[in-house]
Amino acid sequence: MALDRRGFLKFIGGATAGILATPVVWKSLDDVSIWTQNWSWIPRNIDGANSYVPTVSKLCPSAVGVKVRLVDGRPVRVLTNNDHPLGGGLSSIAAAEVQLLYSPSRMKRPLKRTADGAYVGITWEEAEAMLVEGLKKAKGGDKLAVISGDETGTINELFTALAAEMGSKSCFLMPGEAQSAAKAWELMGGEGQVGYDIEKSDYVLAIGANVLETWGPVIRNRHAFRVGRPHGEAPAVRFAYAGPVQNNTAATADTWLAIRPGTEAVLALGLANLLIKAGATSPAADFADFKALAAKFTPEQVAAQTGVDAKRLAAVAQELAKAKRPLVIAGSEIGQGGGAAPVLAGLALNALLGSMNREGGIRALPYARKVVPAAMDRKALLQNDLVAWLGKVASGKSAAPQAVVFYEANPVYALPQADAVKATLAKVPFKVAFTSFLDETAMACDLVLPVPMGLERFDDVDTPYGCGQVVYALAVPALAPLVDARPAGDVVIGVAKKLGADLGVAAFADALKAKAEARGASFTEPSATNAHVSNAVLPVNGIALRADVLSKAIDVKAPAFPVALAPVAKLNVGTSKTATPPFNTKTVRRWEIQGKELYVMMNGATAAKLGLRMHDRIELSNPAGKFTARVNLFEGVINDTVAVPAGHGHTAFDEFSKGKGENVMRLLAAGAEPGTGLSVWTSAGVNIAKA
Amino acid sequence: MEDRQLNSSDCAKDGGKCCGGGITPFLVGLVVSLIFGWWVFPDMMYSKKEQPIRFSHKVHMESAGMECKQCHVLREDGTFAGLPSTASCADCHSDVLGSDPEEARFVNEYVKTGKEVKWLVYQIQPDNVFFSHAAHSLDGCNQCHDFKESELCAQCHPDVANSDSAPTYFENKLTGYSKQTMKMWQCERCHANENHYGVTNSSNACFVCHK
Repeated sequence: MALDRRGFLKFIGGATAGILATPVVWKSLDDVSIWTQNWSWIPRNIDGANSYVPTVSKLCPSAVGVKVRLVDGRPVRVLTNNDHPLGGGLSSIAAAEVQLLYSPSRMKRPLKRTADGAYVGITWEEAEAMLVEGLKKAKGGDKLAVISGDETGTINELFTALAAEMGSKSCFLMPGEAQSAAKAWELMGGEGQVGYDIEKSDYVLAIGANVLETWGPVIRNRHAFRVGRPHGEAPAVRFAYAGPVQNNTAATADTWLAIRPGTEAVLALGLANLLIKAGATSPAADFADFKALAAKFTPEQVAAQTGVDAKRLAAVAQELAKAKRPLVIAGSEIGQGGGAAPVLAGLALNALLGSMNREGGIRALPYARKVVPAAMDRKALLQNDLVAWLGKVASGKSAAPQAVVFYEANPVYALPQADAVKATLAKVPFKVAFTSFLDETAMACDLVLPVPMGLERFDDVDTPYGCGQVVYALAVPALAPLVDARPAGDVVIGVAKKLGADLGVAAFADALKAKAEARGASFTEPSATNAHVSNAVLPVNGIALRADVLSKAIDVKAPAFPVALAPVAKLNVGTSKTATPPFNTKTVRRWEIQGKELYVMMNGATAAKLGLRMHDRIELSNPAGKFTARVNLFEGVINDTVAVPAGHGHTAFDEFSKGKGENVMRLLAAGAEPGTGLSVWTSAGVNIAKA
Repeated sequence: MEDRQLNSSDCAKDGGKCCGGGITPFLVGLVVSLIFGWWVFPDMMYSKKEQPIRFSHKVHMESAGMECKQCHVLREDGTFAGLPSTASCADCHSDVLGSDPEEARFVNEYVKTGKEVKWLVYQIQPDNVFFSHAAHSLDGCNQCHDFKESELCAQCHPDVANSDSAPTYFENKLTGYSKQTMKMWQCERCHANENHYGVTNSSNACFVCHK
């Protein structure tokens, strides 16, 4: 039978009817719908067993103890570690550490700057040879400088030992609260490092110190705050905060005393006045002098200078006097540049309250002994004033060194008058950065050496400033380095050897092991994960209150500007070591950055006085620098003050931070604090004009 | 035109039965497509794959007295934690225990080299489907049922407790997913079951599974 046209159509009709009665069409449609869900651009879930690596964050300034969750050996998340003495929560920087391993601004290989200014990748052998050559020229007589951004690590011993072998004592830490406190404590005749036993205190008054955001071991502080205030129960600890801006600490505290920027020490002396009147005393030999000084700071006088109402001041003084274990913590809003005077006044208040070497008070913690023989110890390192030294080099009072080595430090961004710092460093012929990120300082260097990130290396944390106890913790790698990075410690040991110096340790791991033993830690291998805590304290007899120093330091007159500047730091925005991690960009608030423009905060009265309204574009200027920003009206700022968010305005790093906002450090000029000689830069004023 | 008329007249002569062969082509088309659709097409849709190592669940369950969860661990939140690693198998099979050549191959090729077996996973869901074993535990389901562990697992997974070799893996050529991947209607056997709702609080709302 021949198949004609009609027969064929019938066949097709039958086939169609049949096909519809089979899964062909329906199954294909279903599969197509599933196929459309195979999105290649979405990261796939990782299958595999969980494992956890307890470690401590070297990136977060609060050195938070964390657990890294790995799936099938790959890190996926940073979690809290409630068992760690530096844990009990998570910081926004530490939380982003896994993501930052893959950051586009991360250094992937050693780079050298060529004659035309471009960077080219080189091998580690070439890099080390270049480093040795560069350092050879800097031998003898302070021709080498070391600037470290790590305040708590044993790595500093290796760098300072290398400098010492080269004949240099120009070793510096990036400025921080620990330096102000070390200066104040030294002036008072104290031994060791000042510790604050927040955990056992029942009343914490933070003057300037942003204890729940940027001061000290923040996560440990927050943990103490949370534990002391169980939900639904009467709080066992009360927090009071004094500062010019209602920052996160002020917003959380039971009491916020709004004080003018730079008047922290005045407030402390005002409280001392009231406490002494109420009978407080101190065995200090110079108590009479201090009493005489404090007597000048009557509530009316303090109200005039700080802006705090006399009644509110009296209420806080009464609360302090009533508390069983009161603790006063003084510091700077941005964790640097506040000077020693506020800390000195704060410590004197603690002395009046009987809080020295008492549970819930101030504790003098012993420094660990050195483990690298030629190294500079932590106490000596804290005495070196980087900003003052840079100032001398800038003005020609000190000769510029032949070489500078930066270790995880970004002074070109994070120091006051950031532009001037860059110009000063340009005088140095050979600059090397050990870094994980291509930051502003790395971009100004001749040689950039990638170091493994905190999650990829062995490292340590020895008692961050602010801890009430000696805490020694090891950072252990959760994974092998993803890039061609080498641990800085081992590079330094190798380079020293090539320069003919023996640092006394064969590998960085040996130094860590020795440090652990020096701290009396029970573990013998650096792979051990437990943190070590010790209740050892030094005696605090014969503490002086130093009214002589305070009377000079407190005499600082704020520059005559119509508006005072109050920088505000928040951890989520980043630190001097790292810019805003990509995950954290969504936590930058709407009226903090819009597009690339920075918003600065002032209250309605200040704005009205200046003839400004919300969103107005303004120019902030002073002799240190200027930039434009927009106005955000926020009533949590004291009168005649502009609050400027810190941490923005990077000119390097990545697309998430570069060119966004302005760097407040450009408006802060450093000066010497009378009486103490320490560099200070938080008391600044600005002119504001419509732009 | 003439030819056509002639044909028309021929057709008229045999009463139209010759026109296209009557109903036969239709039936042939129907049968051909039914055969294609039900017998040929399903095989065309999938490529067949076997597990890299023949694995007997039966031996492990009957002879070694093991239970599913001894190898198929879940994370704390109940999400899938993958299949046993070579290291976990090596807890027992650090050396060849029996006479099975597949076991010897496993020990030589994987345990001794530390390589992971690339097991084919039958029920991987698309990433937009959320599933937690925690909500489907023996404790929860046995409030009403009386499942043994392997019976509960077999409600959704291939029942391999008595098999001497793992089932053939059918990979859908279009989607890339396995043939055994559960479909929404299979989830709904429980989630849309009125007897479950109200007892287990299992909701059939979209967002319960689709995140």
